Amino acid sequence: MSFTQPKEDKKLEEALVREFQGGDLEAYDKIAEIYQKKIYGLSFNLTRNQMDAQDVTQEVLLTLFRKIHTFQGKSAFSSWVYRITLNASYMKLRSKKKEPNVSIDELMPSFNGAGFQQEKIQDWSENTESLLFTNETSDVINKAIDLLPEKEKVVFLLRDVEGLSTEKAGEILDLTVPAVKSRLHRARLFLRKKLSSYFEEFSSRKVEK
Amino acid sequence: MICCKECLDLLYDYIEGSLDQETTDSLEEHFHECPPCISFMKTYKSTTTICRDTLNQVEVPDAVREALLKVLKENKEHPGEN
Repeated sequence: MSFTQPKEDKKLEEALVREFQGGDLEAYDKIAEIYQKKIYGLSFNLTRNQMDAQDVTQEVLLTLFRKIHTFQGKSAFSSWVYRITLNASYMKLRSKKKEPNVSIDELMPSFNGAGFQQEKIQDWSENTESLLFTNETSDVINKAIDLLPEKEKVVFLLRDVEGLSTEKAGEILDLTVPAVKSRLHRARLFLRKKLSSYFEEFSSRKVEK
Repeated sequence: MICCKECLDLLYDYIEGSLDQETTDSLEEHFHECPPCISFMKTYKSTTTICRDTLNQVEVPDAVREALLKVLKENKEHPGEN
């Protein structure tokens, strides 16, 4: 899992970047090893296509090799890598499909005039464990993520899946902290709604038994 | 008492633990009176966890790993040809 980077890892990484900038190719191999899974994972989750994710990973790793001299250390090295990965993934997406016409607003919670919830809310949070990692659940989750508009999707992937801080996601995407928070909140609301019918059905079946 | 809409607007900061004490208290007072909002909060939190666990399952396939190694090796030996 790729949560926020511990301090020691960050120092080691900074040292590797300096060594590679000084011409040490072994340092590059280590950087490539550290980042390969992160680059592949993020680009796969954005493009949902193995070939595309492979192309993106190759392109990003080659870019790191060729452009390392342009990295000045103003932002974290990882932010630089994530930005290059996002740009390469977007190029793949643009060359293929149109953005789906999903209105995220339609799936936001609705309230009555007094500001109270209008729909019945069921708590399915205790019943997800046995469903996790089944093919059906993965399909449902992946389809829901696919329906997210790009702006919300990328924030969700960086912040909730990659585990980056709100500040770091903002730095990578050139967004303010409130903008990251707002997009993330909308993404979570949208996904909660999308996943609810699936998990609710399972919860009801369990209760019936 | 705050309403469900306000409760949902505060949910993000509540989970982050970044609300002041007074707002936290009024939100929790709302939860006490409103079981559907507790369910909403729990499923909102679960959404992040299950999506994260599922999407973090992505591994680089062995064939991709090998192909990448080959390209990177060639690139180091003959930079600029890929």
